[in-house]
Amino acid sequence: MKNKTYMCILRSDTGGCEKPSPSEMELQYAKYQAWQQKFASNILDMGNKLGAAGSVVRHESVNDGPFIELKEIIGGYMTLTAKTLDEAITVIQASPMVASEGTSIEIREICTP
Amino acid sequence: MNQQVQVEHVFRHEYGKLVALLLRRIGVQHLDAIEDAVQWAMAQALDFWCKDNIPSSPSAWLYQVAHRHLLSEFKATQRRSILLTEHSYIAQNEVIELEEAPFAGEMSDSMLRMLFVACSDAIPIESQLVFTLKSLCGFSIREIALRLFITQANVYKRFSRAKQQLKNQTLELDMLPDDEMVARLPSVHRVLYLLFTEGYLSSHTDTAIRRDLCEEAIRLTKLLGASKFGDVPNSYALLALMYFHLAKINTRQDSYGSLLLLEQQDRRRWNKQQITVAMGFLAQSATGNTISRYHIEAGIAAEHCLSPSFEQTPWEKIVASYELLHSIAPSPLHYLNHAIATAQWKSPEAGLAVLNSIDIPDWLDRSYHWYAVQADLLFRSGETIQGQAYAILAIAAAPTDSIKQLLSKRLKVR
Repeated sequence: MKNKTYMCILRSDTGGCEKPSPSEMELQYAKYQAWQQKFASNILDMGNKLGAAGSVVRHESVNDGPFIELKEIIGGYMTLTAKTLDEAITVIQASPMVASEGTSIEIREICTP
Repeated sequence: MNQQVQVEHVFRHEYGKLVALLLRRIGVQHLDAIEDAVQWAMAQALDFWCKDNIPSSPSAWLYQVAHRHLLSEFKATQRRSILLTEHSYIAQNEVIELEEAPFAGEMSDSMLRMLFVACSDAIPIESQLVFTLKSLCGFSIREIALRLFITQANVYKRFSRAKQQLKNQTLELDMLPDDEMVARLPSVHRVLYLLFTEGYLSSHTDTAIRRDLCEEAIRLTKLLGASKFGDVPNSYALLALMYFHLAKINTRQDSYGSLLLLEQQDRRRWNKQQITVAMGFLAQSATGNTISRYHIEAGIAAEHCLSPSFEQTPWEKIVASYELLHSIAPSPLHYLNHAIATAQWKSPEAGLAVLNSIDIPDWLDRSYHWYAVQADLLFRSGETIQGQAYAILAIAAAPTDSIKQLLSKRLKVR
């Protein structure tokens, strides 16, 4: 069976949580590294962060940021390869990203004809 | 795997260097903004390093990001015009500076200067310690509270006090004249010594937590020893003292996390390599014609580390060292140790005589150390009833459960 590609969209709470200390960041970084090593064959692209400012363009209007009405904003994205959605879920569940409260990751297959 | 090793403590250690460097270039009065910017840069690193791998120079990367953030923050404030004229040179030279090689040297130099600036007589030593832990070692308020056994509010208060003082004196890092640097050296030694003992003597059950205070103290003291102002015998004596104690740190607790007394420790587990390092520093400290409390304390620690068993400890020499210590740095705690060593060398009664020969300050009178030593020596001289009374006082005054357990075991109180 051919692998599928999944887009993972990271959303996080806009509410300010306490800033992590350097030691906590060290720990977090180590967790990322361990996770990346473990799932190296699944991770296609670690993606990027998205800036906080932006615009929404519609048929007749351009609005600054759609984010005001949303509790959670899209903070970043990454792509995975996996045989099934379940496998992709396993990879994401093991990631340090979902360990923090107020963060959710939406996994969607990138469809190709 | 190599990268993981490389990144160990990069965040915490870079924190102090970056804060110091930015303080030096931008000014002590911007401490808050600088700490925020460094924190911000590290949060960025967390995101980007995972994606593109760690940059070849993490320091330069973090500096660049923190600096850019700081400038954009400044631009966003009303002080814009003033700051931009003051610091326009930074904006212009930013890129060039980042590519310069002697970066690391400048960073450690800034860090040392920051340490000297913080060790001002106008700042109480408790605040100096907290400032050092926070701004130079990169510990958060919560982590400091955990390590010093004080509340977060208290840590915050001490930190603010140091910060306020530093802002008031508006002393730039480079403005401390050479003779003032020399004059402050004893205060710098004192705060590093305190940093070490906070870790070493802590009854924290997590050895890693105690160890990292000790390692921070050693890191900063080494930096000091390698500098123009700190390259003096006292710095090496302090390093020797630290390494002798560090060699024993793993054996201070049994496998259940209970504290162990010196005589119960497994000497085979003392770190021989660290003892060798300590001996090297001790030799290096033996120059010039002054002797400091650090020399004597290192000497005492050396006697303990080098004797094959508790019984074979040269107690006579140790007693003599404590007597010398009294004449240089009188402290009631030294009397306690003096009494213990005398009891080992001569008799428990002789130890008691040392204890009873001095006026005890109130704070020590109420400390568990004092009661515990009294109780122990009384038991050993056959004064069971009196000993029992002191033992109960000692246990009641002990600050943590692990110390209470140690005392109950040692003093046989049921």
